[in-house]
Amino acid sequence: MKQRNGDGRSPEPDLPGAASADLQRRRWLRAFSAAPLVAGMAASPATAAMKTNARIVIAGSGLGGIAVASRLLKQLDGASVTIIDARQKHYYQPGFTLVATGVWPVDKVLDPTADFIPAGVKWIPEMVAEFAPAANVVVTSGGQRIAYDYLVVATGLQLDYAQIEGMDVAAIGRNGLASVYAGPEAAVATWTALDAFRQKGGQALMTLPAGPLKCAGAPLKMTFMVADRLQQAGTLANSRIDFHTGLPTDTVFGVKVVNDDVLARWKALGIHNHYLSKLVAVDPGARKATFASPEGQRETLGYDFLHVVPPMRAPDVVKKSDLAWKESGFAPGGWLEVDKATLQHRRYKNVFGIGDINGTPRGKTAATVKKSAPLVAHNLTQVIAGREPDARFDGYTSCPLIVREGSAMLIEFDYEGKLTPSLPMIEPLQESYLAWLMKVRMLKPAYVSVLKGRV
Amino acid sequence: MYEIWLMLNIVWETLLAAWPLVLVLLLVFAGLTWAALSRRGAAWRTAWPVALGGAATVGVLTFLALPSLTRSSLGELKYWVDWLTLAGLAGGFALVTAALLLPLAALLKRQPT
Repeated sequence: MKQRNGDGRSPEPDLPGAASADLQRRRWLRAFSAAPLVAGMAASPATAAMKTNARIVIAGSGLGGIAVASRLLKQLDGASVTIIDARQKHYYQPGFTLVATGVWPVDKVLDPTADFIPAGVKWIPEMVAEFAPAANVVVTSGGQRIAYDYLVVATGLQLDYAQIEGMDVAAIGRNGLASVYAGPEAAVATWTALDAFRQKGGQALMTLPAGPLKCAGAPLKMTFMVADRLQQAGTLANSRIDFHTGLPTDTVFGVKVVNDDVLARWKALGIHNHYLSKLVAVDPGARKATFASPEGQRETLGYDFLHVVPPMRAPDVVKKSDLAWKESGFAPGGWLEVDKATLQHRRYKNVFGIGDINGTPRGKTAATVKKSAPLVAHNLTQVIAGREPDARFDGYTSCPLIVREGSAMLIEFDYEGKLTPSLPMIEPLQESYLAWLMKVRMLKPAYVSVLKGRV
Repeated sequence: MYEIWLMLNIVWETLLAAWPLVLVLLLVFAGLTWAALSRRGAAWRTAWPVALGGAATVGVLTFLALPSLTRSSLGELKYWVDWLTLAGLAGGFALVTAALLLPLAALLKRQPT
């Protein structure tokens, strides 16, 4: 099967509409957003920048890496900030489910990485090939040895499609094979497969592995939207949707109150759940998927539409380094060993982690980065100043859970699974137009503000 | 406070993404206002009903059409927060309409000299 970089993104997608990005327009926009008037309006309340000549390396140019870089530039005067990442395209991953269900065109989730790299940051367009934290060095895929005083690990995660025998990411979109996670081209291909499937209906198999996932709501959103697209096409009645998860009985989501609500909705939609049932093999040509129980019992099922959610783990470069957890439940996945409150590495105090790579109980979402990027930048600044990191993260994350086209629930929760709505009037389990509007219109502008280090 | 700051940034980034349209509207507003203010006899008082009527029309139309323009429907408004959000957005469009119509109507309905 084809391997992809870091968190499963290919370096340069070749997509219709994406390649025609108007560079000139973007330059004007960038210049405009940097204008003094704009800066004056949009800047956070000013605080004096701390003078330092610290060398800070950030591994990864996703939301976490760029957001922390933007903030460090504002908080530190004289620091050298370097981002290492080969990816030329920045993916707005929260939009993948919208692309994969025919709501958004793909160009809404694609931007040149260069548009978001903050002025003043040195960008090395290579991948990190090796972390050597004992020597305070990273080695790039081009062989450069980059020394640092402080390191922020923001590599994202690895989509481990290789664990599913016969799975070929390149085959997504054909023969009913779908997977929203693999990147923008896979999201487009997933919509191609779903659009074809809904015309006639048939057997849909939806999957969810056990273990840490980024945007754990995405498999649920896809299931809701498959049902909705069938309903719209008038083919739901002659279709069957089966949801297979590696999780224990009556579990499809980690927050119980949300889990129970989703199960009740699925029951009303006639969706059938299968627990402790892990997708282990697929034969795309024959349209057959094989599931295994924890006891090793295997069952092969035919399908007309299969949505594959791959197991996820840390990229090898982290997993095989001394930065990974050595013990605890996060060790098998090779996740970054950070303190869940300060996001500081537990053994290397000059290392912080942000985003999907963190070995923390929950929160592999853009919303988690929104809330934790200011904290990481602050705590890192504290460490540079010789102080202890004093800001503590509560594990905030958020999931605008689409229940059908036009409606969603805005669910926010913390490490403990406690619902934590940002605004008191928001009812998390209330399906609503506002939550939908936020998902389709407001969250990308918020995301861009996070990239710019403003919110 | 954070949520207000976040909302301001969302509005700002939304406007920035549509900056050509925003720029045109600002120029039209500035041009109309300048023209109306610099001409003697502009009928500001009689322009108000026109501006408010136009704003109300646009507000109502926006209220009715915005859900479907955002791939939803009025039927998806399930509780008061949804209605308040939609009303606020419709009000915003109405305000812009009023701002454009007021100087225009003042110009067109010049008082007899």
